[in-house]
Amino acid sequence: MPKPRLPTPLVVALTAAVLGGTAHGARPRPDPAEEAARARLRRATAQLRQQLALSSRTGFYLRLDAWRGTLALVLQGVVLEEHRITRLERGEPRIVFVRRGLPEDWDVAAFSGGELDPPRERDRIEIVAPEPSTGAAGPGSETIPGPPPIPATAEESYSVPSRYRIVFNEGVTIEIRSAGGARNRSVLQRLADAASLWTHDRAGALRWSRNDRVRLRVELAAEDAAALYRSLPPDIRLVILGTAAD
Amino acid sequence: MSVLIGPETAAPAETLASVTRRLAPLARDRRWQLGLVATAVFLLAVAGTGYRYTPVVAAAPDPAAAVARPSRDLHRMLAARARLASALRSRVPHGTHIVIDQTHNRLRLMRGETLLLEAPCSAGSGMILKEGSHGRVWVFDTPRGAFEVLSRVENPVWRKPDWAFVEEGQPIPQDPGDRFEYGSLGEYALYFGDGYMIHGTLYERLIGRPVSHGCIRLGREPLRELWRSTALGTPIYIY
Repeated sequence: MPKPRLPTPLVVALTAAVLGGTAHGARPRPDPAEEAARARLRRATAQLRQQLALSSRTGFYLRLDAWRGTLALVLQGVVLEEHRITRLERGEPRIVFVRRGLPEDWDVAAFSGGELDPPRERDRIEIVAPEPSTGAAGPGSETIPGPPPIPATAEESYSVPSRYRIVFNEGVTIEIRSAGGARNRSVLQRLADAASLWTHDRAGALRWSRNDRVRLRVELAAEDAAALYRSLPPDIRLVILGTAAD
Repeated sequence: MSVLIGPETAAPAETLASVTRRLAPLARDRRWQLGLVATAVFLLAVAGTGYRYTPVVAAAPDPAAAVARPSRDLHRMLAARARLASALRSRVPHGTHIVIDQTHNRLRLMRGETLLLEAPCSAGSGMILKEGSHGRVWVFDTPRGAFEVLSRVENPVWRKPDWAFVEEGQPIPQDPGDRFEYGSLGEYALYFGDGYMIHGTLYERLIGRPVSHGCIRLGREPLRELWRSTALGTPIYIY
């Protein structure tokens, strides 16, 4: 008795449907919330890895935490001083109204070589030692030198601009603004500050490919901004935490 | 009471009319028109160049909180992050450590994140001393970085280095015994390398100002507290 045979196209269609259904069952549609959480977690982990690498080094670094709203000076994981950020903004360069866009992972890179702009100048007192006396040396000597000059404290010697920048090698610049700090500046100084900022903004945007890809505008209390300016070590590094993708 | 009307009020109108009359031929000049358009375009381009600032979007520390049923893969990622955070925490000293802000001449004694003591101190003056005859130069800066207490001395005796004699205009002694000075370092000294130490001073009135030759000078009472609370190996962070 001949077996009943199914037509070949029907067999192919049935097989495809079964296989397709199996494949669909094996790979469920991803949960959008989980996908978003993964992306954020990947970013947070990369930033944490950067921080761990910096804490293993001997140099100082700045830790900008967007979630906690703090800017800290850190050495080997130890927070030396921490300042509360009152406003945090990100500047994106644009040329003739055309936005240049930012690399997606701009905030997970390691930033190095940070220097103050304008630089902090320290006036050092120079003393040329008097020629040694011919009398007996040591405590019994009759030489009575004049009292050495007393150097000025940091507060007395450094004039802190109301806006200053910390420029890093990798094209990130932090612009520190002191909340209410401009009140202590004269009208002329305020005009000079504004003109300097205006010029730097234009120049920075035009030099986008080489430098100043990202501007971070950080507003601190006036005394915090001044303290950071006075004590920032040279060649500082930077790690950014707690930022999310746009 | 008289009110002045006349030349004072008429003059600006006349001036404006006069200026308009003079500029009228220029406005019809093609070169001037092109110049005006070019200037306007340039100003517009400058206005549209610079940075556009927007608030930074912050991310919650626990991104998985919004996920109802985290997958195994997400759990794995969370565990990896937790390991990193733990490694980071392990680097921070949980015991006693000293933090010195040499810019503002402040010393803090910490245990973990708890502040045990904060006191004014005196860091390096930053002065430059030049020796006339030999041409040697010394810069009196306090070093920055991470250090630790290498030795602790009660009633320390200062072995004066060459610069101490040069600064005072005294010949450098041939007999090493002439270098020792008693009492000038206070009751205690905590050495942290290269001849630098935290010690007391005879000049307490200058504490809080940058007057030292690179060491950290501390007042009598804070120094006693520091002596009681620290041991060999206590970390010191100077910035």
